[in-house]
Amino acid sequence: MSAPIVEFKNFGFRYKTQKSPTLYDINLTIRKGEKVLILGPSGSGKSTLANCINGLNPFSYDGVITGSCKVAGMETKDASIFALSKVVGTVLQDSDAQFVGLSVGEDIAFALENQSVPRKEMLPMVDQAARIVGMEDFLMHVPYDLSGGQKQKVALAGVLHGDVELLIFDEPLASLDPRTGMTAVELIDRIHKEQNKTIVIIEHRLEDVLHRRVDRIVLMNEGRIVYDGDADSLLASDLLTRYGIREPLYIMAMKYAGCGMSPGQKLSDIHQLDLSPFEEKLKKQHLMEIEKHVPKIGEEILRVEDVTFAYGKTPVLKDVSFTIRKGEKVAFVGKNGAGKSTMAKLICGIERPRQGRVLMNGADYMSLSIKEIGEKVGYVMQNPNQMLVKDIIKDEVELAMLLRGKSRKEMDEAVKKTLKMCGLWPMRNWPVSAVSYGQKKRVTIASILVLQPDIIILDEPTAGQDFRHYTEIMEFLDELNREYGITIVFITHDMHLAIQYTDRAVVFAEGEVVADDSVFKVLSDDEVINRANLKQTSLYTLARRLGFEPEAYIEHFINYERMVRVHGKPAAD
Amino acid sequence: MNKVLKTLLGVWNTKTIVAIAIGAALFGVLMNYGGIPIYTNTRLTTAMIVPVIVGSMFGPVPAFISCSVGNVIADLIGGWGLWFDWSVGNGVLGFIIGLLPLYGAKINEGIFKPVHAVIYAIVCVIGNALAFGVITPLLTVAFYGGELTITFLQAFAGGIANTAVLVIVGIPILYALARRSARGSNLVMEEEKEE
Amino acid sequence: MENRLLINLVPGDTFLHRLTGKTKVRTFIILLVYIIMSFDIRLIMPLLILTIIGLVSLKTNWKRVKYFIIVIAAVNLLNIVLFWLADPDIGSYWCGGGNTVLLSLTGRLFLSAETLWYLSVRFIKMITSFMVSLVFILSITPSEMAAGLYSIKVPYKICTIFSIAFRYIPDIARDFNNIKVSLQTRGVELDPKKASLMSRIKQNVLILVPLIITSFDRVGNISNAMDLRGFGRGKTRTYYSEHEELKADKVFKAIHIILLLFCAYWIITQNIMPQTIKMWYPFA
Ligand SMILES: Nc1ncnc2c1ncn2[C@@H]1O[C@H](COP(=O)(O)OP(=O)(O)OP(=O)(O)O)[C@@H](O)[C@H]1O
Ligand SMILES: Nc1ncnc2c1ncn2[C@@H]1O[C@H](COP(=O)(O)OP(=O)(O)OP(=O)(O)O)[C@@H](O)[C@H]1O
Ligand SMILES: [Mg+2]
Ligand SMILES: [Mg+2]
Repeated sequence: MSAPIVEFKNFGFRYKTQKSPTLYDINLTIRKGEKVLILGPSGSGKSTLANCINGLNPFSYDGVITGSCKVAGMETKDASIFALSKVVGTVLQDSDAQFVGLSVGEDIAFALENQSVPRKEMLPMVDQAARIVGMEDFLMHVPYDLSGGQKQKVALAGVLHGDVELLIFDEPLASLDPRTGMTAVELIDRIHKEQNKTIVIIEHRLEDVLHRRVDRIVLMNEGRIVYDGDADSLLASDLLTRYGIREPLYIMAMKYAGCGMSPGQKLSDIHQLDLSPFEEKLKKQHLMEIEKHVPKIGEEILRVEDVTFAYGKTPVLKDVSFTIRKGEKVAFVGKNGAGKSTMAKLICGIERPRQGRVLMNGADYMSLSIKEIGEKVGYVMQNPNQMLVKDIIKDEVELAMLLRGKSRKEMDEAVKKTLKMCGLWPMRNWPVSAVSYGQKKRVTIASILVLQPDIIILDEPTAGQDFRHYTEIMEFLDELNREYGITIVFITHDMHLAIQYTDRAVVFAEGEVVADDSVFKVLSDDEVINRANLKQTSLYTLARRLGFEPEAYIEHFINYERMVRVHGKPAAD
Repeated sequence: MNKVLKTLLGVWNTKTIVAIAIGAALFGVLMNYGGIPIYTNTRLTTAMIVPVIVGSMFGPVPAFISCSVGNVIADLIGGWGLWFDWSVGNGVLGFIIGLLPLYGAKINEGIFKPVHAVIYAIVCVIGNALAFGVITPLLTVAFYGGELTITFLQAFAGGIANTAVLVIVGIPILYALARRSARGSNLVMEEEKEE
Repeated sequence: MENRLLINLVPGDTFLHRLTGKTKVRTFIILLVYIIMSFDIRLIMPLLILTIIGLVSLKTNWKRVKYFIIVIAAVNLLNIVLFWLADPDIGSYWCGGGNTVLLSLTGRLFLSAETLWYLSVRFIKMITSFMVSLVFILSITPSEMAAGLYSIKVPYKICTIFSIAFRYIPDIARDFNNIKVSLQTRGVELDPKKASLMSRIKQNVLILVPLIITSFDRVGNISNAMDLRGFGRGKTRTYYSEHEELKADKVFKAIHIILLLFCAYWIITQNIMPQTIKMWYPFA
């Protein structure tokens, strides 16, 4: 066994601004060369733990440490963040905020600049780090030219200098498209193997991380470690569901089929897992008759016809056409930068097509103002802070009606109804600052819903949120759709979400619609997947290995899953 | 005395530097895209809100730097050339406005009372008079020569526009921001009320 | 967004662009001193010609630059007219007391050759000052500017303010647009033709609050990212963007020394020593 690099002993941490500690009784050893994944619901203390290793706690966030934490032999209480930064490299979640240089080269060089490394020595070091992540041809590029995935690579290169031994990744996959996320996981794995670094990953997207082997998983809940061991045993247990973590799809499928799993099996690797003990049950489940889900779809309400659009000279959207019917749930999926958000802006009339038409309820919308379109289509942005302008929840929801000069009575009624729909009525007089991120998101949805639009478009509604919040938001939207017949468009990178909550996917790649079909068809079409940077889910692999038609298998899974979600699990047969 | 000096200087860590930089960037953006033009050199600009924020969070010296650097940046991205007489004037105004925490208004802790609003309004008037009524015109004449009264009048027109924005737009924003950062206390779920 | 900024983020490839940040910043500062100290057409005119040559050599987008030049010229012309209206005799004070009337409108309002001279010199001085800063802005990148300021002993923490600010300007501008758009879809009228000044001020409040919050929200993340890579650990710093001095930089260094000596001489003999303020006037 190799020497330990991180050693927590009876460790605890309390933020100065908090009454009770955030971390309790942490006993954890990470050895040189290990690759560890930290899981846990939101607020369980994962980032706090990571920041105790890299020195941000207590350097940047004041707090009290009890017990001991040694990193590379240094007691973190006494070591400076600078000394620690020579051993520990950290890549934060927000790839935009941590890109502090004005070009790729400068950002990679930032740590070296701070150490006053002469420029002559700096250049080859930057070059080498860029080469490791494959960004050597982009050194002169400015941050706005880069995709989210490329920024993430630059962030990684920026901490690879010198003898950094331990790399910490705090949610590296948020807001990357599925393929780019997969490449990031592969890149981390390559650095783990080739550079011989110790790796700690914090991530909600378990299925994506398991694309490459991890040595160990640490599960946290409410500031304590509740599991510390190998991935296989964790997947076999019911700990994940108990602590509100999303299980990989193939594990879900196997559990639906009633497969009894045990820790001895290679459950964490869908390719290596020996399926023979489960085959029978999985086959039986697949043959089970389930009612097919037929979405209730009304007449056409939106038609996009040959729309072409450009911000500058190069077109961002080319000859895009599709239609949306009342009561549908549609997902816009595709590569980073493919034009999904731009399409949403076109539908809302914020941008207008250069060529082609957009028809609403059969009429061309060119004569309508943004304000008038706003009554038909609501657009919920990714970042709720960009939308909230008032400080009391009720005022925020009222704003749109107030601006339209509605009567007090009409307004009160609509606001009350909307707040009740969104479960915000009891909190109507609360300040916006006092509610959680997920609730803020709800307030923004309410402020759009109050106008009773026909369609509501949500841009990445769940990015960077844990499973509990995610489920909460999605169930709420699902209900709106079921109970009130509101048409919903999601823009998302999460194939899980697309599978579970939408009926149809419009797939974008390089400004074109490359597919427009039911989700299970799209996700079993290799060509579409390749062009749009999507990724096959583990269900596809599972179906292939069992010799099923992937398309049919995924459809069956979706129907079953929907049934469980709406009606509960059927009694065991 | 020592405490006053500390409030004046603020704490100089990485956070302060980044906040000053973000403030300066915001200043540059608002100066160029967020103004309501009234006269050539003078716009009814909302950029002047930046020192209020930086000052209330980090103290007057950071506000001073944020403002004068912000003005240089506004010139650099806008293309109007670099005019240091105005940068220094804006910086001085930023400093005076940034005195907020000295009289107890702490926006990021949610403290902004009517008394503070009154003091703030007075401080704005004094600050503008000093910055654009004295410092900027004197510097302009010293640097480039010219007629003192006209230069003075022009700078003063800019100063009045600034004061107007700082008071008319600034006070509601300060209230709104303070309310935003005030952590709600005694929040209760209100039950269904049948009316 | 970034192509709407006047300053370049990516270094260009002409003679002036290729100088180091240190050379550019120093040249700019010395030239500013040079302009401010001199009220003499014999000093200003050559510099104006040099800056025009410099501007042409930068091969910039003329269309954009032209607009600013015209506006600045117009503003300063207006200023000069105002100065003249306020005191038509202003020139006699500067040009040795003479008063050669060229044109007399009323008893109070007249145009003398001295005043015309004085006002023209001031106008050219303002334009030259503008041109120097325009050439400076067009030839430098924010990172070079940070490096250049550092080379004249400005503390690196202050220099960093410049580069960080430029890094996040496009992000802030994007937030600004998003907030505007989301308000528009909810019914805020932002068209200046349709809304009164008062309601526009009110809408500004609506936009500013979320803009300030989202902008300052990132401070924590950015400063963490910087702390984690050792920002502020040492007393000194090096710059990736500051390449080694080339031959041209060394030539500029020599010019700097000569110019500085000349400026010192001029300030002492012309600005400090003389008891009466006087400018060079060829027709006295
Ligand atoms: N800077 C801070 N000051 C005070 N309290 C904090 C601070 N950062 C985190 N906390 C508190 O510590 C708890 C754990 O937060 P932490 O960020 O470690 O959770 P996490 O597991 O990383 O969650 P997420 O998955 O949402 O990132 C939270 O309840 C939070 O309120
Ligand atoms: N306001 C704008 N001005 C100029 N170009 C823009 C603007 N907004 C987006 N673009 C460009 O248009 C293209 C499409 O962007 P868009 O935001 O629609 O992509 P997206 O599919 O939503 O990507 P992501 O999944 O990363 O959010 C990108 O190349 C982007 O750089
Ligand atoms: Mg976290
Ligand atoms: Mg998008």
